[in-house]
This record gives sequence, structure tokens and C-alpha cells, in this order.
Amino acid sequence: MAYAYLFKYIIIGDTGVGKSCLLLQFTDKRFQPVHDLTIGVEFGARMITIDGKQIKLQIWDTAGQESFRSITRSYYRGAAGALLVYDITRRDTFNHLTTWLEDARQHSNSNMVIMLIGNKSDLESRREVKKEEGEAFAREHGLIFMETSAKTASNVEEAFINTAKEIYEKIQEGVFDINNEANGIKIGPQHAATNSTLPGSQGGPQTGGGCC
Amino acid sequence: MSDSENPSDAAGEDVKSEEQSSFEMSPEPPREHPADSSPVPKTRKRPENKSPCANVQGLPETLKSDQDSHKGTSEAVAQGGWGYWGSWGKSLLSTATATVTTVGQGISHVIEKAETSLGIPSPEDLSACVEEEEKTDGEAREGESDRAGADGASAMGSAMGMLTSLSSVVQSTGKTVITGGLDALEFIGKKTMDVIAEGDPGFKKTKGLMIRTTTLSQVLREAKEREEQQTAEKLTSDSEKKAHYGMLFDEFQGLSHLEALEILSRESDAKVKSVLSTITGEPLIQLKEELELIKEPFSLVDFDDDDVDETKEDDAGTEFTKELTDTLSQLRISVTMDKLSQVVKNVHNHMADMKKSDVPALEKEEGREDNVMSKYNAEDVHSAAIRSLAEITARAIEQFHKVAEIVLLCSSKEAAAEEQAKVLAHITVMLCKEISLLSKRFTTCLTTIGSSEKGEVLNPLITGVFLEASNSASYIQDAFQLLMPVMEVSHIQRTSDPTQ
Repeated sequence: MAYAYLFKYIIIGDTGVGKSCLLLQFTDKRFQPVHDLTIGVEFGARMITIDGKQIKLQIWDTAGQESFRSITRSYYRGAAGALLVYDITRRDTFNHLTTWLEDARQHSNSNMVIMLIGNKSDLESRREVKKEEGEAFAREHGLIFMETSAKTASNVEEAFINTAKEIYEKIQEGVFDINNEANGIKIGPQHAATNSTLPGSQGGPQTGGGCC
Repeated sequence: MSDSENPSDAAGEDVKSEEQSSFEMSPEPPREHPADSSPVPKTRKRPENKSPCANVQGLPETLKSDQDSHKGTSEAVAQGGWGYWGSWGKSLLSTATATVTTVGQGISHVIEKAETSLGIPSPEDLSACVEEEEKTDGEAREGESDRAGADGASAMGSAMGMLTSLSSVVQSTGKTVITGGLDALEFIGKKTMDVIAEGDPGFKKTKGLMIRTTTLSQVLREAKEREEQQTAEKLTSDSEKKAHYGMLFDEFQGLSHLEALEILSRESDAKVKSVLSTITGEPLIQLKEELELIKEPFSLVDFDDDDVDETKEDDAGTEFTKELTDTLSQLRISVTMDKLSQVVKNVHNHMADMKKSDVPALEKEEGREDNVMSKYNAEDVHSAAIRSLAEITARAIEQFHKVAEIVLLCSSKEAAAEEQAKVLAHITVMLCKEISLLSKRFTTCLTTIGSSEKGEVLNPLITGVFLEASNSASYIQDAFQLLMPVMEVSHIQRTSDPTQ
């Protein structure tokens, strides 16, 4: 409810890599094998705790379809974090990463933290992209990397939270100007006034609800 | 506003009589808004540019009417007075393009203050009247106009709806309260002016939304944060239960959709401007004319409360959702109304459920324990009402956001942008009417279920529902305005690309 910071995230990547499923797993802790194609952008939000501080993640889950690209690009601006997702069972989704990355860098602020995610790690038998390849790509482009499974929830929590940690560290280092909302960070109402946070008791039911 | 004000006196009277009954039951059947002809005949009303206080001071004898002569008919007149007050307050609120409302906290306080100082009938009475009128439909309007005639000043039918509403309110309450009332009005006026002046100096309707430095979603977000802060401050058992419209609206992702829609609107606006700056001569004139046609439906949206007929049998929202779906299909784009329809249906069902549970409680007559016996109390109904309004509004804005996204994709099968704009205007009116209808039903429900509650408990709850309903309608209309540049860009893209 009352948060110290609000981070805006975007989730990007080819259609069908599991962006919406990752979000659903993170906000609602459930998996939907069949998911409607996302139109434009959908939203999710959840409260997390970092360093004893309540942080609200406001997540913009964009459509992966090519036809929506020009629209979804509009939404990149003002994001503090991005989850760039590919499907480890489809090499082409990995091959498109460069385009996605260029797009993201071009249309967002330069400090945006980008987390590279190889999703569908539960489908080991159908794997087309080795974990090492993902790691190498991330290293080369200065991204954080993780393999996740929206189905089994493996690493999903970590992916979102580690991105937030990175952003939080950047705030501590003074890289982000938190007073500039174009950076995708907002100081919470209660943080600005006093630091008497209400840990757990407030965040608990909220996260359970999944909606907010 | 000058551009929305009807110049002729006759039309002025028309406006007045509509305002008069805006918070009451309409005895007339709802007017039709055919989508194909002109779906929205009247302009959305905006109050005068002047400070309300200045108007009052300029009023001569009308203020002097004595209290006693009105006491006898206090209920009837008071009802009219509230009607004026209600619509006046409503138009004020919408003028501020939803910003002044600060999602429930500031103004509701002011309104309560205004209520007490002006001696306006309690919302409870009002709601009871509404209910009563459901039975005695027919003569209501005639009697109303007779009374208005007797009241003299209000029958003047001046085009300044605000003036008449003020005088009538003052008349019915007497001189003694004027000072107190003026304070409250001045407060509202100031606050409204502040907010309007902040980003919309020209009072240029909601179009100003695009020019403003602070966006609507930003204002809403700040308001919500203030609400959050307040809740955090007084985390007592009471405030936990209370429904917060702003927070709920955000929870239903209404703010996010609004923010995204604002982004699309802003970018589209920039695109339109850049296209207009790159062409010259005949093509420019032609394009401007075409864009004018698209803009037209956006300046014509009006929604009259008195068109809303809540006597209609409870239909679980099926009729509404069917009409909505039919209307939406005229856009000829691949967008469904599923989420919005589902929410509307749920709300109707929930309300029916609350009404049902109320019956045995009333029939029991076992002392004063009705509330204990009843499954729901007034607080529950209020929470349900606020929650429903917040959810429907959020889904409506989501719907507009989705429409914007699909329209920007530009498919060849789509209806012409001008057509689409008309359809969207029609949808806006439909949504606002549904909001109004639901709020009236909720307050009626609130009055019955909370019949044993004291006035000071019930009144703020009822006022709250009406207030948030008015907010909801404002947000929806503002979201609709955001679609204008989107439709323009869509038109430009479709006409400039011969392959499509």
C-alpha cells in the first residue's frame, strides 16, 4: 500500500516467449498454459521488499507481435527496468534479441536496468539455446541474466526482484535522479514524509491479492 | 463555456429544466441517442468562467425571500434545490476535468461543509425522494415546473444555469445562511479555479488536457498517494474498512491504462501537428477540413442525468452490455467488451443480491436489530458502490485505451475515423448514463438498508457515492477526449497510405 519507491518495468521480447505468463506468475503466483495474445500493453503490480523498504513494481507487459511494435515503443519511455525475454526452445527469439535491445536502448533512458531472461527452462528436452549463450550475450551487452520458468515459477521471483535490487543500488549510488520521473522511479508518499514503514502488515495482503 | 453555451433564450430554458431534475428521477422515457444520426445533440455543459460568489453578490431581491414562506413546502422546494445543487456541483467537478476532485477527499469534505452550511436537504432525503418518485412518476415534472414558476427567480430561465441554481438554493434556505454558504461556495470556487487555472487557463474544455503540463493520470496518482498517506497515518480500525475510490481505481489498473492512453494521445497529437506543418496549399486545407469533421463528435458529448431512467426493471445489465457490444461493433475493429461487460454484470448481480438480503431484515421488525440481522449494512453497500464505480471506470478507460491501440494499427476494414469518433462519443454517453443509473440505485439501496442509521452516518455515505459517480463520469469523458488525436492520426495514416 504505502511504498518507499515505485519502479516502472517493461517486459519486452518476441511474441509467445511467455512475457504475460511471467507477469502472471509474479503477480498472481499462477500459470496459465493458454494465454490470449496481448493487445498493446497490459499491466500488473506487486509490492516487494528490498533492504527493508517497500517497493512497488508497476509492470507494463507489452505485446510481442511485430504489428504492435510502433505502439509499444511509445511505452518504453520512463521505465526504470526492462525484462528482455526470449524462449530457450526457439532459437529465432534469441536471434531477435539485438533488435529488441537496440529498440529498448533507443527509446528509453540510458540508465534503464535490463534483465535478460531465457524463459521456459522447464522444457529442457526442447532446448535450442544453451544457457552459456544467454550468459555470453548478457555479458557482451551489460545485462543481467537468468533462466526462468513461468510454469514452475523457477527464478521468476528472483528475476523481478534482482532487477529491482539493481535499480535500488543505482539509486543509492546516485546514478538515478529519483526526482526525475522520466527515469521510471517515484518516491512513495509515505517515504517522503516519514520513514515509519509498516512492514509486512501492509504489503502482505496486497501481494496476496496479486492485483496491486 | 462560450463555445458550449447555447445562445438562444429558449435553449437556455431547456438547459435549466434539465439541470433542475438532474439528480432526480426522470418521469420521461429516456431519450434516444441513435448512433448513426447525431448521437449526442448537446454540448457538455461547463459552468461560467466567473466566480460563483460574484454572481451571487450581483443578485438583487431574489436573495431576500424569507425562510418562513418556504418552510411549509420545504421538502418539495428543498428537493428542487438539491437538484440544482447537484447538477451545479457536478458541472463544477467536471469542469475541473476530474482534477479538483482529488479523488474523493478534498471536495467531499467541502460538499459536506456546503451541505451543512447551506441547509441543503440531506442526501438521505434526496434519495428517499428519488425512491418516492419512482412510484409517483407522472405528475412529478409538472409539479416541479409549477413550483419553479412560483419561485419566480428560478423561472427566469436565464442561460446562466449557475445563477439560477444559486438563487434557488439561497431562496429556499433564507438569508441567514447566506454568509456561511458563500464561504463554502467560495472555497469550492477557489479550489476549482486553482486547479483549472493551473493547467487550463483558457477553460478550453477537456482539449486542454493535451496541453497541460500535468497529466490527468499524474494528478490522479498524486491524489491517490495523498489518500494512501492519510490511510497510513490514521490506521485505525475504522479507516481500514472505508472504501477509497482512488486506491481502488489504481488497483484495477485504471491509472495505468489512463497513463498509457495519455502517452498515445500525446504522441498522436505531436504527429498530427508535424504532418500539418509539412504540407501546404490545397492538401493542407483539405486535411484540416477532414480533421475538423473528426473533431466534431468530441466537442458534442453531453450526458444528461435526467435521461437516466432507473425505474427500468433490473435486467442484470444484460441490455446495457448488449447495446454496448452492438455499438462497439460499429467501429469495425477487433476489440471486445468482455471485461467491461463482465464487470457491469457483476455489479448488477451484486446489487440485486444486496437488495434481496434487505427484504427479510425489513420485514422482521424485531426491535432495532435490523442491521445485525441483515447480511449487509450501510457501510457494506457504500463500499460496494465505491468499488463498483472504481472498477467500471477503470475498465471503461481500459476499453478506450484498447480502442486507441487497435485504431493506431490501422486496418483497412475499419470504419471511417469520423464514423468511429461518433460511435465513441455514443459509447461515452452510454457509459456515463450507466454510471449514473448505478449510483442512483446504490443510493436507493443505501437508504433502505441504512434506514435505521442516523443521518450523520448515512449522509456522507450517500454523498460519497454521488460524488464518485460524478468523478467516474468525468474520468470517462476525459479518457474519451484523449482519443481525439488518435483518431486524427489514424485518419491521416489511412488516407496517406494508398496501399491500405
